[in-house]
Amino acid sequence: MTKQLGFFVDSERCIGCFTCAMACKNQYHQEKGVVWRKVYPLKEEIYPHKERAFYSLACNHCENPTCLNVCPVKAYYKREKDGLVVHEQEKCIGCGNCIRSCPYGAPQYNPVLKKAEKCSFCHQRIDDGRLPICVLSCPVDAIQMIDLAEVDTTGMVRFAPGFPKQPSLNPSVRFRLPKLPVVVRREDL
Amino acid sequence: MNTYETPLILFTVLSQLSIGLVAMSTLRQIAGPDIEPNKLRMEWLVAGGVLLAGMIASIFHLGHPGGMVQAITNLGSAWLSREALGTGVFLALLVAGVIIMREKTSLGLIVVTALVGLLVIFSMGMTYSPPSFPAMNNVLPFVFFFITAMLLGASVGVLFSSDTTLPMVSRILTVSLIVGLVVYLIVPCIWLSGGEIMRQTGEQWLASPLYWGRIVIGLALPLAIIWTLKKTPGWLWVIILVGELLGRAVFFANTVHTATNMGGIY
Repeated sequence: MTKQLGFFVDSERCIGCFTCAMACKNQYHQEKGVVWRKVYPLKEEIYPHKERAFYSLACNHCENPTCLNVCPVKAYYKREKDGLVVHEQEKCIGCGNCIRSCPYGAPQYNPVLKKAEKCSFCHQRIDDGRLPICVLSCPVDAIQMIDLAEVDTTGMVRFAPGFPKQPSLNPSVRFRLPKLPVVVRREDL
Repeated sequence: MNTYETPLILFTVLSQLSIGLVAMSTLRQIAGPDIEPNKLRMEWLVAGGVLLAGMIASIFHLGHPGGMVQAITNLGSAWLSREALGTGVFLALLVAGVIIMREKTSLGLIVVTALVGLLVIFSMGMTYSPPSFPAMNNVLPFVFFFITAMLLGASVGVLFSSDTTLPMVSRILTVSLIVGLVVYLIVPCIWLSGGEIMRQTGEQWLASPLYWGRIVIGLALPLAIIWTLKKTPGWLWVIILVGELLGRAVFFANTVHTATNMGGIY
C-alpha cells in the first residue's frame, strides 16, 4: 500500500472540548457557518451513558473520494505522495455537487466566495514538516496523524458505530471506541 | 442540510419534459407515418424551447454561472459533466431536426435524438444517486426521472397527436400515471423498513404536504379526469406539470443526507 495519511480519532481520550475545531477556525478563518472540523457527540442510542463520548471529524481524505469523482471541473486532486485530497478553490464553480455527494458532509459551501471548501489536512504544514493544526492543538492527544500504510491497526476500528460505512470510498480515518464508564458503587469501596 | 434547489427542480423537470416529448414523437413516427413535418418541427421547437429554459434555470444554481462551460471538464468520472454534455448534444440535435426536417421527417435523426435523450436521463439518474443519500443511491432517481419524462412527454404530446395516434399517446399517459402512482406510493413505504437514513427519508416524504400534493394533484387527479371524461384533455399537462414540480421539490428537500445523523445509528 502506498502512503496514505489519515486521522486516528481516539474517542476514549476525547473530552469534547472543541479545541481541535477552534484551532482549525483560528488557522483558516472560515466564513461564519463554515466548519471544516466538527465534534459530534455520540447519541444515546449508541452510547447510553451519562458520560458523553465524541468523534472529532473533518474530511477523511478517502482512498476513492466521491468529491473528486463527482466534481465536474476537476477542482479536486489526490496527492500521490501522501494520498491527501486537496480542493483547488480557484477552479470551483460552486455547483455544490461535492457537498451533496460526500456522505460525511466534509465539503462545505462558502456563501461569500460561492464556492465549496473543505479540510485540507493542513497540507502546507505537512509539506513543511509540521502536524495538522487540529492534531497539534488537541490537549489529550485524541486526534493523531497516521499513515495507513504503516500504522499498526491493532485496536483500531475502521467503521465505528455512528460513522457512515462506505467501504467503496475507504475513508482514511480509524477510531478507538470509547470505553464504558466505570460505575463506582458504595459497596465497591 | 437540504434545500429546495429551485434551479435544479426547473432544470430536471423541464429537460425531462423535453426528452419525453421527443420520445413521444419518436413512438408516433414509428407507429405510423402520419406526422406532418411542420407539426413535428413545432413539437421539437417546443421541446427545444423548454429545454433551453431549463438549461438557463440550471445556471442559477451555480455559485459562478460564468463557469458553466467548464462543467464538462471531468467526463472521465463525473456524471454531472456527462449530463451537461449530453444535454447540450440533445439540444443541438433538436435544433438540427427543426432546421433539417422542413420537407420530410428523418426517422434516423428522430431515433438518434430520442436515444441521446434516454442517455441524458440515465446520466441524470447517476448524478443524483450519490452515496450520501442511501434512499437514492440506487436505480430510483432514474426511475423517477423516466416516469417524469413519460408523464410530461405524453401529456404535452397529446397536443401534437393526430386522430390516429392520439389513442396510443393517451394510453401511454394513462399507464404512466398508474405506474407513477404505484411507484410513488410504494417506495417511501419500502424506505421505512430500510436503514436509519432511508427510514428517515421515508418518514420525511410521507409527512410532507408536497409529497401528498404530488400524489393527488400530479397523479390521482389526472387519472380521475381521464376516467371521468373518457378522453385526455389538452390542458391536462398543466396539472401534471404542477405535480411533477411538487414531486421534484420533495426529491431535493426531503431526502435525508447521511451526514445529518453523524454519531447516531446508521
